[in-house]
Amino acid sequence: MNLIKKILSKVFIYTVMLFTVTVSLFPIIWVVSSSFKTNGQILTQPFGLPTALDFSPYVKVFTQYNFTVYTLNSLFIAVVATLFALMIYALAAYVLAKFNFKGKSLFFILFTLTLLVPGHTKAQPIFSLILNLNLYDTRLALILVYLSNGMALSIFILKAAYQTVPKEMSEAALIDGASFWQIFSRIHVPLVKSGLVTAGILMFLGNWNEYFYAMLLTSSKATRTLPLALGFFTETFSYNYTEMFAALTIVIIPSIIIYTLAQEQIQKSVASSGVKG
Amino acid sequence: MRNRKTKLWIYLFLLPAIIIFLVFFLVPIITIFITSFTKWDGFNSPIFVGFKNFINLFGKAEFLISLKNLLYWSLIAAFLHVGYGAIVAFILYRKPFGWRFTRSVFMIPNVIAVAAWAMIYRFFFNNDFGFLNNLIRIFNPEFNIPWFYNSPYAFWAVTLTWLFYSVFVTLVILTDLMAIPDEIHEAARIDGASALRITFKIDLPMIKNAIGTGIILSITSRIAMFEAIALTTRGGPGDDTMNIPLILVSSITDMKYGVANAASVIMIILGILTLIIVELIFKMRKVEKF
Repeated sequence: MNLIKKILSKVFIYTVMLFTVTVSLFPIIWVVSSSFKTNGQILTQPFGLPTALDFSPYVKVFTQYNFTVYTLNSLFIAVVATLFALMIYALAAYVLAKFNFKGKSLFFILFTLTLLVPGHTKAQPIFSLILNLNLYDTRLALILVYLSNGMALSIFILKAAYQTVPKEMSEAALIDGASFWQIFSRIHVPLVKSGLVTAGILMFLGNWNEYFYAMLLTSSKATRTLPLALGFFTETFSYNYTEMFAALTIVIIPSIIIYTLAQEQIQKSVASSGVKG
Repeated sequence: MRNRKTKLWIYLFLLPAIIIFLVFFLVPIITIFITSFTKWDGFNSPIFVGFKNFINLFGKAEFLISLKNLLYWSLIAAFLHVGYGAIVAFILYRKPFGWRFTRSVFMIPNVIAVAAWAMIYRFFFNNDFGFLNNLIRIFNPEFNIPWFYNSPYAFWAVTLTWLFYSVFVTLVILTDLMAIPDEIHEAARIDGASALRITFKIDLPMIKNAIGTGIILSITSRIAMFEAIALTTRGGPGDDTMNIPLILVSSITDMKYGVANAASVIMIILGILTLIIVELIFKMRKVEKF
């Protein structure tokens, strides 16, 4: 009786785990493997593996379908927005973590409350703001909007990181005559590097993957980002399935690589804050 | 002197974040609430119209269907989506062979772009070259259903794009489970409690907050769900898979800014309601985090 129970529980456990791995991984494997098949193979041999590793569809996607521009746009916008956001929130989190001043808790509460407002709801005011600034259909528009994306999350992560730096270090530096800026830049920034990396990775992933505001604020091919290009797939590729799968692979692989390299940090910060990156 | 200088530095450090907060949060949110009571096209000044935008929304079929969809999706999210995430958390907590790998892989659908994941599903469910229908056609060669374009399948096809991907719930619950002191489990075991009893009588009450958080997160994600619909069904067939963010976007495109912001206000209110209701049901405030 006990043995049966044990076996049944093992069967249940591994069925759920196998199912979880399959639903998470199989669709991606299917997409990537389809990108190495010919159109005919995709339609007639859906279960067969690709017969050769032919990268020419990828070359074609980059050279003939403008994906070089989309990739560079995505990279440029995500990197610039992440770096500036990181600077801004590193400054704010530092004073919130290390000093007592008037309005401190108010600022912290306000910055955290931003988490509760779904990003989509601000669509019209932000759309009008970008129009009024004459920035519609520019990369700068997306950079500006993405600056605000990781606010609460970065301040959480960075504030916690600063709090681990012992007070004595700033006191000692103060006695040595170090200025406010020096204590921040020479003592604290090097010690919270891992926090900066975590916040940076999460913000970069969020920016790299963003679709909604890219759709709302740009229109031309010159400013299009990779996720946005997905919305034009049917008209772009019509019946070239191989290239369509290759293009989809190009969009998803960078995120997966970044995640694989930084999964410890990402999982930890997600678990502690319960917040999407 | 030194003190005054420090104060200046402090506010200087806060300034950029405050500017972003004002420009991208405070002003937009105030704008949304005020202009939701106006007729506004963005060029002419807004004209106060009272609750007309809200009344109009509630008179539209696409909005009512959105609310109905949202109700179903919220129930599915709260019970099945969070339930599945919780089951996976309890399994991983026992650290069976391959638990780390499962946890890592489970995260992948959530780190790639939502838009890309929607596209993957759209291809996977495609009638011509999709994996699913080709698989079914092995058993039934006549099978032909374009899942995302036919009623009532479209609703379920959209649901499947997120149903099983509750890794955030799993991670939040797993963290709380791992924080339960071992002594409590040992004491229960010495008293002769079965594994199932320990799960229900000790673990579940102790992770109440994590489950509540998971439900709030997953329902608010449903309220904001846009890409998974816009890139698959576009709200169709008919209004079968309509959701409020799609109405918001189409209202902006039609330059009905008052209506758009009324839709936004409703999304914010629904989010706050979710937060309050779940916190009340789970009495989340009363339980101290250990």
